[in-house]
Amino acid sequence: MKFAHIADCHIGAWRDPKLKDLSMQAFIKATNICIEKNVDFILIAGDLFNTSMPGIDYLKETTKRLKELKERDIPVYIIPGSHDQSPSGKTMLDVLEEAGLMINVVKGTIKDNKLQLKFTIDKKTGAKITGLLGRRGMLEKKYYEQLDNTNLESETGTKIFMFHTALTELKPKELEKMDSNPVSFLPKGFEYYAGGHVHIVRKETIEGYKNIVYPGPLMPSNFSELEKLRRGTFYIYNHGKLELIPIEIVKTYPLEIDANHKTPEEVHEFIEQCIKNQDFTNTIVLIRIEGKLKSGRQTDINFKAIFETLYKQDAFFVMKNTSKLSSEEFEEIKINTSSVEEIENVIIREHLGQIKTYFSDTEEEVTKNIMNSLSEEKNEGEKVYEYEEKVRKEINKILNL
Amino acid sequence: MIKGQIISGRFGEIIARQKSDEELELGELLVADTEKGKILLQVYDLLYGSQISQQNLELISGMKLEEHNNLEFMEPHLRNYKLAVMKNLITINEKKAVSSKNLPVFFSEIREVTKEDLSFLTKPEDAFMIGNLRSGTKSLDFPIYLPGKQVFSHHILITGTTGKGKSVLMSNLIWDCVEKDYCALLVLDPHDEYYGRNKIGLKDHPSRKVVYYTSKNVPTGARSLKINLSAVKPEHLSFMDFSPPQTQAMNAFYKKYGEKWVESIILEKPLNVEFNDATVAVLKRRIVFLLDLDFDGEQLYCEGIFDLKAGETTISDICSELEKAGTVIIDTSNFSGQTELLVGSLIASETLRRYKNYKVRGELKDKPIISVVLEEAPRVLGKEVLERGSNVFATIAREGRKFKVGLVAITQMPSLIPRVILANINTKVILGTEMSTERQAIIESASQDLSSDNRAIASLDKGEAIVSSNFARFALPIAVPFFDEEVKKHIKKKNETNNFSGVKIE
Repeated sequence: MKFAHIADCHIGAWRDPKLKDLSMQAFIKATNICIEKNVDFILIAGDLFNTSMPGIDYLKETTKRLKELKERDIPVYIIPGSHDQSPSGKTMLDVLEEAGLMINVVKGTIKDNKLQLKFTIDKKTGAKITGLLGRRGMLEKKYYEQLDNTNLESETGTKIFMFHTALTELKPKELEKMDSNPVSFLPKGFEYYAGGHVHIVRKETIEGYKNIVYPGPLMPSNFSELEKLRRGTFYIYNHGKLELIPIEIVKTYPLEIDANHKTPEEVHEFIEQCIKNQDFTNTIVLIRIEGKLKSGRQTDINFKAIFETLYKQDAFFVMKNTSKLSSEEFEEIKINTSSVEEIENVIIREHLGQIKTYFSDTEEEVTKNIMNSLSEEKNEGEKVYEYEEKVRKEINKILNL
Repeated sequence: MIKGQIISGRFGEIIARQKSDEELELGELLVADTEKGKILLQVYDLLYGSQISQQNLELISGMKLEEHNNLEFMEPHLRNYKLAVMKNLITINEKKAVSSKNLPVFFSEIREVTKEDLSFLTKPEDAFMIGNLRSGTKSLDFPIYLPGKQVFSHHILITGTTGKGKSVLMSNLIWDCVEKDYCALLVLDPHDEYYGRNKIGLKDHPSRKVVYYTSKNVPTGARSLKINLSAVKPEHLSFMDFSPPQTQAMNAFYKKYGEKWVESIILEKPLNVEFNDATVAVLKRRIVFLLDLDFDGEQLYCEGIFDLKAGETTISDICSELEKAGTVIIDTSNFSGQTELLVGSLIASETLRRYKNYKVRGELKDKPIISVVLEEAPRVLGKEVLERGSNVFATIAREGRKFKVGLVAITQMPSLIPRVILANINTKVILGTEMSTERQAIIESASQDLSSDNRAIASLDKGEAIVSSNFARFALPIAVPFFDEEVKKHIKKKNETNNFSGVKIE
């Protein structure tokens, strides 16, 4: 059995169109490698798209790729992630599944108020695949709590479990504040646990669980990830052996500058020296400046000139991060480095129970769902009244109105 | 109900004659009504009294035993009786209770205690229940509450011989604390008895707030105990008896290799300073055993709970859970006592460090008290251990209350704990203790004068206890409720309908 394990493609992520395209290109490159390597099937462990309603161009390109895979008899098994479905569970993945281009393996029955998942069997290899979706705000936790593992564990054969959640025992230190689920929620005794959601490359074996794998994103989706990961990755499982496949669409050039005891001019000078006479063709340049400036303020650093120089040297894209830069002359601004989601969670929890609601038992969940619904953007070609109606329907559903 | 009458004695040693159709017991609570109120008394000794001289009693007994004579006492209920020796517990004037400073009226009757008599025992705002009030062997339907914030930050000692109910008391205490937002408990459980993987236990708490870490057969919803090796620092091993050269070698490796110091010792990486080969070899052997490691040439393997990759956030996760007033139970039954203490030390050190920082930043007032439950406490708080050097648990015992970090120390050998530490533990729950040296150690360090309770402590039965606390008006006799029965009252089947949106239901 040979299969590819991809996760967190986030097609359509990034605001800038140039960067946005990279996620699409990464997906195309990854699927090409899968074809070249002649895999039996592909697993996508959530977040194929960055939103539940991706842009038409990306949807079209993705459909084309999935169609090609289908024609080559490479089935794609998928679970929805926290990004590619709306709070009420709507997702473009359903359309692609209806068209026969992929198979959503999150299916089952409810027995005694417990969820019993069913296996999807891969015809070619006989592999038995199942899994659970991810939801924003860790709302999938309830699913795991109510998951009946008995039938899954007693099933014989080669079993694969797909999940889109952070696992407590495997969380990296920098994500320690991220909500997570314990590994013990997963059914034991599977051959492979195909993870997604946490953008790390990790494979681990814990008592009762072999091959718990996070393949990393296909394309890093923020500044820090680009700095840390530099490129996208996915895994190919080949008869028990795992191979990490790198996906590099563009190069990255991280530049870290210590601004302590320097003037803005000195920082500028230093950067100019670092980038002098370098070729940045097809390269994303990442400038991170940290520390306390001796004088002036951060806006005194002439970034415009630096960016111009870099683009003249053919840089693909230039980004800067000055969140940990302050000045001795000006008051330091405290920056909370937590993720947006974490900050939202903290604020929601702090304000729970302050108003009387009929849903006090599920206030946290309902609040998160409402916020998620309201953060949904209007789709291309969607009329304002259609958009408003969609949001209204979502909210009514969440509030059981 | 009248149970006797005061006939003689002095302060702290009041003697009453028992009414013939009543039965007085050791530890029984009685009330003597006075003109202004009442005095609460407690029996601490029992003896016989008789109107017939000892000589005549011996003669009558001889006639009955040797000559099978049918002699009977005339009006036996008047001539022979029992005497109870009692001490004042507290004086109650209306609803105000003050320390007793006088004797009850001579010849006053003593009666059974009632709920109304105890109305001065109010429920504090931050109450936690320690048990039901006990009078002798009788458990009264009167729950005893202590002020949780003070009690937990000023440490608790639970002492008693095996089988006297320490675990049941502890289970009740944890159960009651789970939902208290002012207190968090870190329970190091060497017998894996509190979570209840195969019986009723803390897993059944309706709040579902109990977090359980274990390294073997992890039940669904529990967490695998994996701690990244990088979390361990030489200071965490201070409870072990490393020689000064071994300690210096550890520090030298840590200084040079930082988080990878353990790996560098095992793989014998070079140092800038020289140590005796034997010193490093012993150090290596002890660390390999302690952390359950293995090595093969240039590769280090982790066999136990310590891991090179997993568990990077375990200590931080546990501390964060505690800061949210959570209850964390760590099953330490699968590893050695020293490994258990290392795990406890890692978490306790990080907790104390965080809380010290909160205090500096003025944020400590918003944080719950974190209490570390330690079984067989003399392993870290014993005189011998502390003579070799201090450790984080001793630090908590001495100064933890300033930072809202407390201990719940459990032991059957309190005499092994230095007096200075015992004196810092302001609440002691005393269960039945047969050994007189252990009783003496408790009596000498108790918050109330228990000098007359030596016999009462020895005679405490399973589930009976005396609570001596700086935060109680008198040493409280309690009965510990049965855990299973208490829990069953609270277990409710949830009937909520689950919504599995996004799952294709067939």
